[in-house]
Amino acid sequence: MKFFDIIGMCFKNLWRRKLRTLLTVLGVVIGSCAIIVMISLGLGSNAALEYSLKQMGDLNVVTVYGNNNGGGVVVDASGSSKNASGAPPKLDDAALETIKALDGVEVVFPKLRLDSNMFSIYAGKNNRYKAQWIEIYGVFPEELEKFGYKIDQGQLPAEMGNKYIIFGSQAAYQFADTKRKNRMVWKEDKGDGTFTEPFFKPLEETIFLAVNNTKKDPDSNGNYQSGGRSYEHKLKVAAVLKEDYNKYESVNAIMLDMGFAKQLLADYNRLNGIKNYDTSYTEVAIWVKDLNKVGSVQDAVTEMGFQAYSMDSIRDQLQGQVVKQQMLLGGLAAISLFVAAIGITNTMIMSIYERTKEIGVMKVLGCFISNIRQMFLIEAGFIGFIGGVIGSIISIIISIVLNAVGGGAIGVDMYFGDTGKSVPISIIPFWLILLAIAFSTLIGLVSGFSPANRAVKISALEAIKNE
Amino acid sequence: MPFIEVKGLRKVYRLGSEKVVALNKIDLEIEKGEICCILGTSGSGKSTFLNMLAGLEKPTKGSILIGGRDIAKMSEKELAKFRQENTGFIFQSYNLLPSLTAAENVSLPLMFKGISKNKREKIAKSMLKAVGLENRMSHRPNQMSGGQQQRVGIARAFVAKPNVVFADEPTGNLDTKTTAEVMELMVRMCRKYNQTLILVTHDVDIAKYADRIVHLIDGNIDSDKRNESIVPKEPLEKEDGKTINNACENENMQAEEIGQ
Ligand SMILES: Nc1ncnc2c1ncn2[C@@H]1O[C@H](COP(=O)(O)OP(=O)(O)OP(=O)(O)O)[C@@H](O)[C@H]1O
Ligand SMILES: [Mg+2]
Repeated sequence: MKFFDIIGMCFKNLWRRKLRTLLTVLGVVIGSCAIIVMISLGLGSNAALEYSLKQMGDLNVVTVYGNNNGGGVVVDASGSSKNASGAPPKLDDAALETIKALDGVEVVFPKLRLDSNMFSIYAGKNNRYKAQWIEIYGVFPEELEKFGYKIDQGQLPAEMGNKYIIFGSQAAYQFADTKRKNRMVWKEDKGDGTFTEPFFKPLEETIFLAVNNTKKDPDSNGNYQSGGRSYEHKLKVAAVLKEDYNKYESVNAIMLDMGFAKQLLADYNRLNGIKNYDTSYTEVAIWVKDLNKVGSVQDAVTEMGFQAYSMDSIRDQLQGQVVKQQMLLGGLAAISLFVAAIGITNTMIMSIYERTKEIGVMKVLGCFISNIRQMFLIEAGFIGFIGGVIGSIISIIISIVLNAVGGGAIGVDMYFGDTGKSVPISIIPFWLILLAIAFSTLIGLVSGFSPANRAVKISALEAIKNE
Repeated sequence: MPFIEVKGLRKVYRLGSEKVVALNKIDLEIEKGEICCILGTSGSGKSTFLNMLAGLEKPTKGSILIGGRDIAKMSEKELAKFRQENTGFIFQSYNLLPSLTAAENVSLPLMFKGISKNKREKIAKSMLKAVGLENRMSHRPNQMSGGQQQRVGIARAFVAKPNVVFADEPTGNLDTKTTAEVMELMVRMCRKYNQTLILVTHDVDIAKYADRIVHLIDGNIDSDKRNESIVPKEPLEKEDGKTINNACENENMQAEEIGQ
């Protein structure tokens, strides 16, 4: 028997019992709808979770804190070395190499913090504006983007060297006007949606940085003397960062090239006669490509004796809750699909009872039992298939409606200011549709399996029995 | 060698502890092209015998050779193949599939054989023409009279050019006039291709259409004789003036195309 003819016979039989076919298909539609919608809600809440976690911090990043609080802080002059055994390890280049070699680590991003007391920083004509309290970080600028720092104005030069610096979004507000009793201006909403401007436009001014001689007392204005010409630098602001309150440095700090920062640190210590100072990094951000390895990297770094932090543990906890919810909903959906499967089996058995004589006749006319089996399997499979297709279409509609209606209702939770976009409540990716249709078809086939076996066992003698 | 050879055939049904001997010990040989009637009263074992000849039931004892092959020893699959190639079956209650049209019903055996839709439709149509139903092609069984349904059944039994056609009380549900038409049609179809017909009936008048009458009594062959008063074979007048003979000619042409 040709395959096409088997299909034809199936359709004729399904069509003959339109209402029953329809009701059975309806069962599958409800079941597959339940499954698809539940999974899509799960995917939606997962996406929302990932999104809000991302708002809290980069999921791929493990942050390691060194045991050095500010590169410039003078180490106990007595030199009581803390590097003896049992002392906390240093987050230095050697440690960095070890971290880089960990499985899953793609990029490391060390930060060297220089204490604001070490320098005097001015801007404007005649150094009119003086930075009051501003943190300075040495970084590798080429990795900024990877670690989520975004540039608001200007652009990074190929080589920052000791000519260029980067401003945090509000670094310019840290400057006070020395001509007006050190008056400062804060970034404030003026009430019409615009903000107060700082005294100068960072990209247009030259910044003057001098290494302080802190051995001598400051003058009456609180200004230290610098170490002379070779301790003074004229710098250009290459870029201003976009503010990100998860990253302190992107707001109120100044960033320098790591080499320049190390040079300044050395200069300060030389100028002030400090020999025993700490050159290890303040903090290292580690970028782990595979989210599943974030936890193990964090553990390994902790093992090395550092404090490490990542979103992984929070993520695990939150995701655990979401998964529990999904399992519950998924279980309910699975039950409805199971009921649909019983429906298919029931329909097929009914139809076999009705068609007992027909099956006998087909056998007498020389139909192979394999063909009879195929007919019943395909009928059942088709009920599953069409149920899956209709279920998918309805699920897509439900999903669209949920996203349109629900998005507004939950609004606050689902809207994230900076993008202005909402994370959909229900997400139906293409693979889910394919999977749902394939699964419904499979359910149909499995449900049809035992009825089909029953059908092939019907004796040809049934053909001549008279009821 | 005879076409059908039955040796020591016995069928016993067990109903609990009770035994019903439906067929005691049957020996019979039937030649190719013979129209053989199994005649007997109700309960004499006619249907049981026919069912075993057609391979629908396994004998308790004995063998049935058709074309030299023992059908009692065939597997389900072999049997299906054997039926596709060698047998046709005409039922008392027609047994057309209700969801199919007349043409589709007639082409069923060809479909099971795997013949393409176009080809089998053509053959089925010429068969239906041959049984005088050219204007009932796309009618469903419930839109036809009993006589018409049985003619569809006959067309279906002969469509694959089987070597042997089995018929169990084919006219049992028909009136006298229709019975005559149907019997005439069956006999002519058989003669055309020298096909063997095994006909089961309790009606002596119907037995007259056969070449040979085997009389069963209580599961035994009581008598087995040539039919002396065989019904004449003049062409039967049809309403539209066409003769069944002509219709057979027509069918002849088409059936050649099947090729074996
Ligand atoms: N499946 C069965 N189980 C038990 N006994 C059976 C079975 N089939 C037939 N018989 C018995 O075998 C005997 C022969 O039955 P069979 O059907 O062959 O008769 P028949 O000659 O065809 O009669 P009728 O003309 O009424 O159709 C009967 O006594 C019947 O009761
Ligand atoms: Mg009978």
